[in-house]
Amino acid sequence: MAAYALYVLRRSGQFVLVVFVGINIAFFVTHATPIDPITAAIAAATRFSQADPQAVQLTREALRELYGLQGNLWQQYVVFWMRVARADFGPSLSAFPTPVSTLIWRALPWTFGLLSVATLISWGLGNLLGGLAGYYRRNVPLKLVGVVASGLQPIPNYVMAFIVLVLFGYVWPILPITGSSQINLPQGWTLAYFQSVFQHALLPVLSLVLVGTGAWFIGMRALVSNIVTEDYVAYAELGGVDRWRILISYVMRNALLTQVTGLALSLGLIFNGAVITEVVFGYPGLGNLLIRAVYAGDYSLVIGIASTSIIAVAFAALVIDLVLPLLDPRVRVA
Amino acid sequence: MRQSGRDNGSTVGPHPPPEGAPALSVDNLRAYYLTHYFGVEREVRAVDDISLVVRRNEIYGLAGESSCGKTTFLKTVAAAVRPPLSVIGGSVQYAFLDRDLYALNPAKLSAIRWRRLSYITQGSMNVLNPVRRVRESFIDFAYRHMGLKRRPFFAAVNEHLQRLHLAASVLDAYPHELSGGMKQRVTIALATICRPEFIIADEPTTALDVIVQKDVLAMIREAQQQIGSSMLFVTHDMTVHANIADRLGIMYAGRLVEEAPTADIFANPKHPYTAHLVASLPRIGEQSRKESLSGAPPNLANPPSGCRFHPRCPLAMEVCREASPALTTLAPGRRVACYAASPLVKPSPTAERVAGATHRAERVGLVQ
Repeated sequence: MAAYALYVLRRSGQFVLVVFVGINIAFFVTHATPIDPITAAIAAATRFSQADPQAVQLTREALRELYGLQGNLWQQYVVFWMRVARADFGPSLSAFPTPVSTLIWRALPWTFGLLSVATLISWGLGNLLGGLAGYYRRNVPLKLVGVVASGLQPIPNYVMAFIVLVLFGYVWPILPITGSSQINLPQGWTLAYFQSVFQHALLPVLSLVLVGTGAWFIGMRALVSNIVTEDYVAYAELGGVDRWRILISYVMRNALLTQVTGLALSLGLIFNGAVITEVVFGYPGLGNLLIRAVYAGDYSLVIGIASTSIIAVAFAALVIDLVLPLLDPRVRVA
Repeated sequence: MRQSGRDNGSTVGPHPPPEGAPALSVDNLRAYYLTHYFGVEREVRAVDDISLVVRRNEIYGLAGESSCGKTTFLKTVAAAVRPPLSVIGGSVQYAFLDRDLYALNPAKLSAIRWRRLSYITQGSMNVLNPVRRVRESFIDFAYRHMGLKRRPFFAAVNEHLQRLHLAASVLDAYPHELSGGMKQRVTIALATICRPEFIIADEPTTALDVIVQKDVLAMIREAQQQIGSSMLFVTHDMTVHANIADRLGIMYAGRLVEEAPTADIFANPKHPYTAHLVASLPRIGEQSRKESLSGAPPNLANPPSGCRFHPRCPLAMEVCREASPALTTLAPGRRVACYAASPLVKPSPTAERVAGATHRAERVGLVQ
């Protein structure tokens, strides 16, 4: 138990390091962009009028201070970390003066919901079906699932999103294709609102699940068809151990270890897929917000979103890594 | 009718008289690996026309070099046949069954496994599920057979482990926490917990060093005697056979070439192959070099004509090339298949089978 506590400690240290390096990269990459948010803001403000050059200069100074952009890159860096430590990413430059954190908190639940539901469904369904298909190699329905999965799995997320959108929004228009809920519906704990949210989530979730399930299915099927040749499975079959017990405790249980690790490794990719899906379906999550921030040269918002997603993905990977030793007795936590 | 000898309890002891009632009768068993790759059909005759009887309460040793079909024979008598291996012909009769092993439906088969027929497989190191504790393996394999509630079940398991000199603490261990010898002992305990009438053991000691091997052999012997079960024991290691087997069968290229009580095999081998196996054993104080047998084991997909040993046999005659010798009884309990051993040995009427015969009754024991 002490060994496990030590492992938790070390793995958490690693988490902090990953987050630190990731946010640093986000900071320097965004500051290397050629878009100057101050010029952009002044251009927007003075688009329809003549402005006094001195006033423009004063505005420029004021904005620079407000945005935390005074001084050289090093000074900005120090100011930036002092703010991040207080979970303050400053005001959004494009939606001034709304704080970045407010924008992120507004968008985060949508992305979190979309991602967690889609990942849970595709991971669970893909592994269950893949496990069955690997164990019952001659089952015809499962073979068909395999054919479909192999066809779906290589389709990129954005293509799948458009296919689903065209199919259910245009060819057979039964589902809403954009937004997170009906616009004129007040937000609240009402049944109508939840129904609307559910309906609007169906297509984005479906497009993520179709691609994700295919990938997990193929991985799991390959794993299981290896595991069924292991001595302990052959021996259990020889011993007349119950077939469901063999499938679940002998075959799937051993394959699960690899698939959980795979989930931890692919969290980043899953997040990328979600960004694109959100843009396609106009879903008000972090991905959509991020793309808008990039176009507007909104430094602070980009850094804020990047940092949030780095923390979220790294944290999810941390949780999985902490669970893994509990699943596999052979993993030595020392 | 085979059951008539079951109450013959007088055969208890390490060396039962040869007239003990049969526990397993195998007749003209053939099991081939049938493969069909890239349009080429191949059949590998791993078990080709084997007949033998294992008696109650005896350990029958089966010896032979690698790839002679020993393991395939065990799989076949354990109904652990899965493609590409398939049983082509012959019968496998256990005394505790009222019909041929291959006439059982999967449910019946599953019901006798471990209860009446258990199997210690080759590579017992890896037969325990790495993510399940030993305790759970005992539940998986034995619980349904014992007909006991949890508490008395584990009491019985503990008692059994104690009999086999294993600490009860192994139940809470994961397989990777046990040494190779311990894993082997746990596997043996697992295979004997239900007190099966018949135990099949495939090289259970091959991966162990000689000290541990000695202990494990003693344990197998002890377990077998406590239960009074019969055992079919396979290894290529003649010294192990000398220590454990009551009777010994020598296999060569898918066929049984000689059978006799263990002491007779070592004292007076009849078949030239057996003679060579026995002569290869080192003796203390011996100075001479051991001659190795020339040539290699035959390809079982295309075995030599006649006696399969003739290309490597120092005594080969003309007749050996032409017709396969029948396994002939020379004296009670003593069978040999070699023309040079005795003039009584005649060509076998059943040995030659037309290659690629169309009649293939594929029988698969494990449903997949």
